[in-house]
Amino acid sequence: MKKNHHALKRNLTGYLFITPQLFFFCLFLVYPIFEGIRLSLYKINYQGMSFIGFDNYIALFNDPVFIKSTVNTIIFVIVIVALTVVFSLFVASAIFDKNARYVSFIRGSYYIPVMVSMVVMSMIWSFLLNPANGLIPFVARELEFPVVNFLGDKNLVLPVVIFVTFATNVGQAIILYIAAMIGVPKELFEAAEIDGANRRQVIFKILIPSVKPITLYIVIINIIAVLKIFVVIQLLTGGGPNNASTTLMYFLYNNAFKYNQLGIASAVGVIMFTIALLLSIPQLRSMFKK
Amino acid sequence: MFKRKNKRKRDLFDVISNVVVFLFALLSLFPLYWLITSSLKNSAAVVKMPPDWFPKTFNIDNYIEVFSNQPALKWALNSITVSLVSTIALIIVSSLAAYAFSKLQFKGKNIIFILFISSLMVPKEVLIVPLYRIVDNLEMVNTLHGMIWPNVATAFGVFLLKGFFDSIPDSLRESAKMDGASELRTFFKIMLPLVKPGIGALFILYFVQVWNDYVWQLVIGQEEGVKTLMVGTATLMQDLNPNFAYKMAGATVAAIPLLVIFVFFQRYFTSGLTSGAEKG
Repeated sequence: MKKNHHALKRNLTGYLFITPQLFFFCLFLVYPIFEGIRLSLYKINYQGMSFIGFDNYIALFNDPVFIKSTVNTIIFVIVIVALTVVFSLFVASAIFDKNARYVSFIRGSYYIPVMVSMVVMSMIWSFLLNPANGLIPFVARELEFPVVNFLGDKNLVLPVVIFVTFATNVGQAIILYIAAMIGVPKELFEAAEIDGANRRQVIFKILIPSVKPITLYIVIINIIAVLKIFVVIQLLTGGGPNNASTTLMYFLYNNAFKYNQLGIASAVGVIMFTIALLLSIPQLRSMFKK
Repeated sequence: MFKRKNKRKRDLFDVISNVVVFLFALLSLFPLYWLITSSLKNSAAVVKMPPDWFPKTFNIDNYIEVFSNQPALKWALNSITVSLVSTIALIIVSSLAAYAFSKLQFKGKNIIFILFISSLMVPKEVLIVPLYRIVDNLEMVNTLHGMIWPNVATAFGVFLLKGFFDSIPDSLRESAKMDGASELRTFFKIMLPLVKPGIGALFILYFVQVWNDYVWQLVIGQEEGVKTLMVGTATLMQDLNPNFAYKMAGATVAAIPLLVIFVFFQRYFTSGLTSGAEKG
C-alpha cells in the first residue's frame, strides 16, 4: 500500500514537470498533424467544407505544377545536401588542425550568412542578380556571357537557387564538422603518420570515417531544411520563370494563402510530413540505439 | 596531426586546400560587404556600372528614410518581443521537461520522449494550414501571441537540455533529497545552475531561429502594426521605390542585430550546435 502511494507520487511529480511542455506540444504540434490529415480529405472554400475522400490527393497527382514542385524539391534536396556535405568536409578537414584564430575566422566567414538569414541573403542576391543594374549581370556582360538574366532563364534558375541556398546554409555543417574533427583522438593520426601516410590519405582513411555520425546528422537536418525551401523562392524567383523554380513549400503556401485551396494545401502538407518522417528514420534509429 | 617537423615541407595538398578555403571564405563574406557598402551609396551610385568597389560617399540618408518612411522601429520591437518571449518561454518549459526525462522516473517516460524526439524531424512549416486555423480559433491571428506560442511547442529545447542534465551525477540530486529538499527546490537551486551553459546555448540558438523565422510571421502578421523586421524588410523588396540603396539599408537593419549577436556569442553557437549533434 505504502509502496503504491510512493510510486503514484513519483509518477505525478514526473508528469507535473513535463506538463507545460506537453501542453504546447500537443496543442501546436500533435493536434495540427491530425487536423492536417483531416482537412486534406475535405474540399474547403468560403462557403464551408465538404468531405471528398482522397480527391485532393488525386487532383494533386494530376497537377503538372505539383509534379514540377515535387521534382524541383527532390533536385534541390539531393544536390544541395550533397554539395553541403562534400564542401563542408573539405573546408573542415583543411582547417581543423590549424591555429585557433584562423579556424575561428574561417568558421565565422562561412557562418555569418547563416546568421544573417535567408531573407536578407535573398534580398542581397536579388540585388546582385538584378538584370538591369546588378553586379553579376554586369560581369556576365563584360565577359560576353550569352545570358545575363539568370533568374529569367529556365535552365539557369535552378542552379542559381541551388548556389544561393548552399552558400547561405553551408556554415552550419562546417561548424559541426570542425568541432567533430577537433575531437578525433590525435593518436590515430600519429599512428598513420608513422606508417607513412600523407595528409590526403589520413583525411580519407581516418578523419572522414571517424566523423560518420556527424555526417548522418548533417544529412538529415539539411534534408529537412531543404525540403521546406521557401524564402529564397518567394524573394528571388517567385517560383518562375513559368513555374520552373517552384517548390513544394511554395506550392503549399500559394494554395493556402493565395488561392484559398486549404484542402489541397493540407494534402501537400501531409505528403511533406510523410516524406520528412520517412527520411528521418535512420537518424532516429541511431539516436535511440544510444 | 602535423607536428613541427612537417612545417618546412608543408603538404602541397594542404596548402592548396587552404588557399581555396580562404578564397571561398572571402567570397562568402562578399555579399554582406556589398550589402553594407551599397546601403551607404546614393541612388545613382548604387546602380552605377562599373561599380565603386568602395563607396565614395557615406550617405546615411537611406537609413533615415527606412526609419522615417517605414515603421522599422516598430518592426524591430516586434521581432525582439517575439524572439525574446518565445525563447524564454521555451527555456522554462523545456528545462522542466528535460530534467524530468533525464532524472525522474515515471510511467510512459520513454514513449513520450520518443514522441518528442521524433517530432524534431517535422518542420513546423508543413503544418501551416491546420496551425493557422488553430491560431485563428484562438483569435490570435494578427497578434504577437499568435507568432509566439506555437514556437514553444518544439522539442528542440528538451533535446538540447537533456544531454546537459544527463551529465550531472545522480548523487547530487540524491543528497539534496536526503536533506529534505522538494523536487522543485532541487531543480531550481541545484540542477538549473549546473546546466547554465546549455541554457545559454539554447537561448542564442532559438532566439536567432525565431528571429529568422519568416514564413510563420508572414502568415500571422499581415497587419502593419504586428509585422516583424524580417517580414517588413522583405516587403521593401516589393516596394515601388526604385532606389536599391534604400532597400539594402532596410536589409542591413534586419541583419545587424544578428551580426552583433554572433560577434559576441560565437562560442555559444559552436557549443550549442555541437551539443545538439552529440547529445540528446
